[in-house]
Amino acid sequence: MPPREPIVELTRVSKVYRQGKLEVYALRDLSLEIEAGEFTAVCGPSGSGKTTLLNVIGALDRPTSGTIRIEGQDLGEMGQRERSHLRRDRIGFVFQAYNLMPVLSAYENAEMVLSLQGVEPEVRRKQVMRVLTEVGLEGLEERRPDELSGGQQQRVAIARAIVSQPAVVLADEPTANLDSVTAIHLLDIMEKLYRERGVTFLFSTHDPRVMERARRLIRVVDGQIESDDRREDDRGAP
Amino acid sequence: MDIWKTAWRNVLRSRRRTFVTVSAMSFALWVMILYSGLVAGYLRDMEQNILDLEIGDLQVHAGDYRDDPSLYARIDDPEALMAPLRARGYRASSRLLAWGLAAGEESSAGVSFRGLDVAADADVSRIHEHVFAGSWLDPGEPHGVVIGRRLARMLGVEPGAEIVVLSQGADGATAADLFEVRGVLQSVGDATDRAGVFMTAGAFRELFVVPDGVHQIVVRRPVDAELEVAATAVAALAPGLDVQTWRDIMPTLASLLDSARGAIVAMFFIVYLAIAVLILNAMLMAVFERIRELGVLKALGVGPAGILGLMLAEAGILTAMAVVIGVALGIPTLWYLAVEGIELTGIAGMSMLGVAMDPVWRAELSLAAVFPPIGALVAIVALAVLYPSLKAAWIDPVRAIYHR
Ligand SMILES: Nc1ncnc2c1ncn2[C@@H]1O[C@H](COP(=O)(O)OP(=O)(O)O)[C@@H](O)[C@H]1O
Ligand SMILES: [Mg+2]
Repeated sequence: MPPREPIVELTRVSKVYRQGKLEVYALRDLSLEIEAGEFTAVCGPSGSGKTTLLNVIGALDRPTSGTIRIEGQDLGEMGQRERSHLRRDRIGFVFQAYNLMPVLSAYENAEMVLSLQGVEPEVRRKQVMRVLTEVGLEGLEERRPDELSGGQQQRVAIARAIVSQPAVVLADEPTANLDSVTAIHLLDIMEKLYRERGVTFLFSTHDPRVMERARRLIRVVDGQIESDDRREDDRGAP
Repeated sequence: MDIWKTAWRNVLRSRRRTFVTVSAMSFALWVMILYSGLVAGYLRDMEQNILDLEIGDLQVHAGDYRDDPSLYARIDDPEALMAPLRARGYRASSRLLAWGLAAGEESSAGVSFRGLDVAADADVSRIHEHVFAGSWLDPGEPHGVVIGRRLARMLGVEPGAEIVVLSQGADGATAADLFEVRGVLQSVGDATDRAGVFMTAGAFRELFVVPDGVHQIVVRRPVDAELEVAATAVAALAPGLDVQTWRDIMPTLASLLDSARGAIVAMFFIVYLAIAVLILNAMLMAVFERIRELGVLKALGVGPAGILGLMLAEAGILTAMAVVIGVALGIPTLWYLAVEGIELTGIAGMSMLGVAMDPVWRAELSLAAVFPPIGALVAIVALAVLYPSLKAAWIDPVRAIYHR
């Protein structure tokens, strides 16, 4: 089997926040590879650097040092515009909250990335309807975010993140604002998309029941990887 | 993402803010349309009065008249100019001018004599409509004169009274005669009010012994001819003669009218400044309230131009609503003020810079009165939304999304 090229590759990445004379290392010399088709959770206590990690991988934030490659492209060599296009075309985002445009319907929210990419309306429609069905929202397409439950809103966000078939979906604590039943249900949907569509997920959490579902669990403490475990049953899958 | 659809829904979402900003903008626009129309109407009437009652659009004199305005500086053949002018749609009439003394029962005063071709003069001037007491000149009554209002008061005469006039004729001999005051004018302008003595051309020629030629030709241009264009056209037909526009003749007044018109525009910006502050505040609030949304949009790959477009579209929709409402209110109000006007009869004999005004103040209803307030509003809104919009466009997605 030829070695697979990693989708995400971090080499000795540090992110330092300066607060007056104090230097806070949100990430400290961190190296990491994520391959296509992985279902990875990043866990760790609050303040350990999970959000920062996802933000630098998602080209939303620049690290203080080290290199980050997405599908082989060095983010450090990209300008604002290229990074913006990379986010649009190759990365799916799910945030903890306030993901959706309140004035747009579920359908319009899910469609947004495709219309930014300039995909034809008919193609758009087919793809959006399909992913909305996949996340279990058929019949709710016309609802505005405030007419949807928290779990349904996160499902719209997931639909929007996967509809353009990005290289990786980055989800920062997607279940943090949900009750545990809804959180588990959201995980079921993510897992189904990972299994059936081969979507690569990288999500952060500090909920042990969510961590359990991951095929790979990276534990971050003080901006460093403390442990990185792959589950046996994931070997040889898809 | 459909920018207009999203912007429109944002406008609907913040109903209260939309209501407040659109009402304020509409009100300001409405007031400015009225202000602009009323001041423009006032200035137009003022200009028109001067032209109608005093000077006409253009005046032609003999080449040496301006240096030495004497009885002898005459245009020898006025018809040679007036006939072709009339053929080209201009109206023209000649006048004879002289200075001298007039005496009534109580006192005497220095006066300016104006000999008119009564029929032709009605074509270029409306002074004959401004008789306060008595009646206007009659070519069949050569011994009747019409005099200015203050002159009548100074001399202590009323229609029917006799005055003695005294001057020097072209023959060098004393020109003196007895005239009957046929009419006293309304207040039309300082010079005429204080010193104007109008008589028929025939009476003038006899009194001053001027058998031929005229001192002045008053010209009115066709409505579609620009003043400067008309001046050039007239000058081409009047070789050796001196052609002046009313702006040349009354430069102070002309520049005063110009700067008064400029002041209208300055006024827009002063009044709209309050609107600009309101809009600036409303748009800053919009950015602040939606900072996370804007951050998410940027994270998803919407560029600065997209965000800028969204904010500008929103401000554009608010402005468009205000323009529609402001114009819908402004045009009918202005139309009423243009047709009915505002009665100023309480202020009798109102004059401004020696120019009499009509007792009814009528607004001007024209594109020139309505467009500048709209243009100024749009310009100032554009300026006011620029800062919040650019701020939104260049927002850092991380800081916006995790904004607390
Ligand atoms: N904008 C910032 N300015 C200063 N310090 C920050 C900033 N963002 C994060 N940090 C610090 O970096 C560390 C990691 O934060 P974060 O990545 O949000 O952790 P987590 O998501 O695991 O809770 C924390 O100590 C946090 O206080
Ligand atoms: Mg976090």
